[in-house]
Amino acid sequence: MSGRRIDRREALRLAGGSWAAAAAAGSLVQLVPAAGEAYRPGQRVEGGPIEGIEASWWKRLDGNRVECGLCPRKCRVADRERGTCGARENRGGTYHSLVWGLACALHVDPVEKKPFFHVRPGSRALSYATAGCNVECKFCQNWEISQFRPEQVGSVWMPPDAMVMAARRAGAPLVAATYSEPVIFWEYVRDVSKAARKAGIGSLVVSNGSIQEKPLLEVLPLLEAYKVDLKSFRERFYREVVRGELRPVLDTLERIRKAGVWLEIVVLIVPTLNDSDAEIRDLARWVKASLGPDVPVHFSRFHPTYRLTNLPPTPVATLDRLWKLAKAEGLEFVYVGNVPGHPGESTDCPGCGARLIHRIGYRVLENRLKKGRCPDCGRVIPGVW
Amino acid sequence: MSGGRFSRRELAALLGLGLAAAGNGGAAAPLRGRVGVAPVKPGRLGAGEAGEAVARAVRAATGARTAEAGLRALFSPEDTVGIKLNCLAGRGMSPRPEVVLAFARLLARAGVRPERIVLFERSTRELRRAGFTDCAPFSCEGIDNRWDPEIRTSGQIGSLFARLVTRECTALVSFGVLKDHDLAGVSAGMKNWYGVIHNPNKYHDDNCDPFVADVFRCPVVRDRFRLTVLDAGTAQYDGGPAYRPSATWPLGLVAVSADPVAVEAWGWRVIDAERKRRGLPPLAAADRTPRWIATAARYGLGEGDPAKVREVRG
Repeated sequence: MSGRRIDRREALRLAGGSWAAAAAAGSLVQLVPAAGEAYRPGQRVEGGPIEGIEASWWKRLDGNRVECGLCPRKCRVADRERGTCGARENRGGTYHSLVWGLACALHVDPVEKKPFFHVRPGSRALSYATAGCNVECKFCQNWEISQFRPEQVGSVWMPPDAMVMAARRAGAPLVAATYSEPVIFWEYVRDVSKAARKAGIGSLVVSNGSIQEKPLLEVLPLLEAYKVDLKSFRERFYREVVRGELRPVLDTLERIRKAGVWLEIVVLIVPTLNDSDAEIRDLARWVKASLGPDVPVHFSRFHPTYRLTNLPPTPVATLDRLWKLAKAEGLEFVYVGNVPGHPGESTDCPGCGARLIHRIGYRVLENRLKKGRCPDCGRVIPGVW
Repeated sequence: MSGGRFSRRELAALLGLGLAAAGNGGAAAPLRGRVGVAPVKPGRLGAGEAGEAVARAVRAATGARTAEAGLRALFSPEDTVGIKLNCLAGRGMSPRPEVVLAFARLLARAGVRPERIVLFERSTRELRRAGFTDCAPFSCEGIDNRWDPEIRTSGQIGSLFARLVTRECTALVSFGVLKDHDLAGVSAGMKNWYGVIHNPNKYHDDNCDPFVADVFRCPVVRDRFRLTVLDAGTAQYDGGPAYRPSATWPLGLVAVSADPVAVEAWGWRVIDAERKRRGLPPLAAADRTPRWIATAARYGLGEGDPAKVREVRG
């Protein structure tokens, strides 16, 4: 996370609270207060127990068991147990989200870092996450929050209104649910997005796409753009490296596209595991046929981390090869990520080939778009400009 | 073997090959596949009654002349012994403090220094809720998110383990209960080790197979493991892992085994027998076959064939 991180003091300031006042009131506590007690926005929360809120998508089974209705895993959860995400718990036959309002990461990032390359270039996004995830990628870059339970990481109490206020104070026209897996804090995403919309702030989601249809469709209308990490185009990779499934992710991609919400796709290219021409060709053809050639696809460079430390970083030559291959297959906006200075960081017009947005790293050096069109040939460039 | 304590190699040989132990009045019978049981009252229990039950079960499990001798064969005076309790279900379906303390006292009489006997659970809060408030002279503590920073991979799991386990304890005891588990099928001694990893929620797919076996197989657990002890005064045949009073019955046993797999197979048999008696389908028919028991046996961790598991009455 190379974005500007907000510390507790700053979180308090952004949220409109006062560090001194909070400290004097003893708000830097270990435990979450019981129901009915309020936190102060920006208040540090760690340890347990966590009160949580009743989850929005679940059904009751026999014998106090519940079935989660949020992601395709459909966890059947016995009383006092949690779903795979670790962020939802069955308490006496009622399913609870333990992470609503508890941001364990809060940063102001350039929107290019998400990455969104067709959404308000050069804008800042107040980016937030809670603990937990519904898959377990062996290469997870954010495993220190995604693979932990909420009581195992420090969090800051940031209810939706405080999040919006923080975004305003940070001069961010966007809020982004990201870093871990927004699906597991979907109620929080929904409520932050509602509050953001009222305040004229756009809401983004950066997700693995493993979500059931109902919760997806309920929240999609509140979003400005959705980025999906398509981990691979092979079920085997999903099964063995991600502990998830490919098919539901493809369904999600189609649903987002059908709903008209701006969509970008990121594929982390892991050497030897998902970097074959055959796989990327299949992926590019599927995207073109099922979603359209104008959906941006980013190929990102892998760096060894978490449980996948035995592989080297992705060679730049591999990314070059796949970048060219995907363009040759007819995708109009193919990007290369995590290789600062690579020409694949910039947006070129698929009509005349002119450079439209010149980027290095997360920085936009030049944006020549005129009302969403190429200034040279007049071609419409899709996105949220 | 030195000083009456089995080395890891000797213990493995005992478990794997069924050799007779020798010396210092230690276990005189093969430990593989052997589960020692002794009667114990359900409900409130005096210290004397608990001590007697635990000692009889240890004797039965080890085949030693005395319980202290049986434990001396497994633990060294230099050991720091971590006793992992399973208090998830609260006071109703957790090991009773009087039974746990009886075992700790027995361990102390066998030569382990009391200050080196640590009763622990995932959180201090869970311990308190289960009634573990005054455990002197023994330590009693929650892991409370103190994790060793090294990610350890074992089979399909990748986890941080409790620092207490990786850095402080040289010997481990799983002290659980016997209950049904909605996903794992059986929760007794082996499933209890989920409590020493930071991400147990990740490992409940496929009826916890192979994950329960994989957690145990990790050297930080496997190499320190000495015994499983189950307070099965009251057991639960359905509705677990939470406490459901209407699904409990007074089994009235303490079970002890140095074979971490055999005691699970024994527990499965006991739960299925009770389910049958009550007209319920066996766990396999209820979509929760504890297949991880066979996996653990396949890994060579102990005896998983129910036909070869011997219940020895103490």
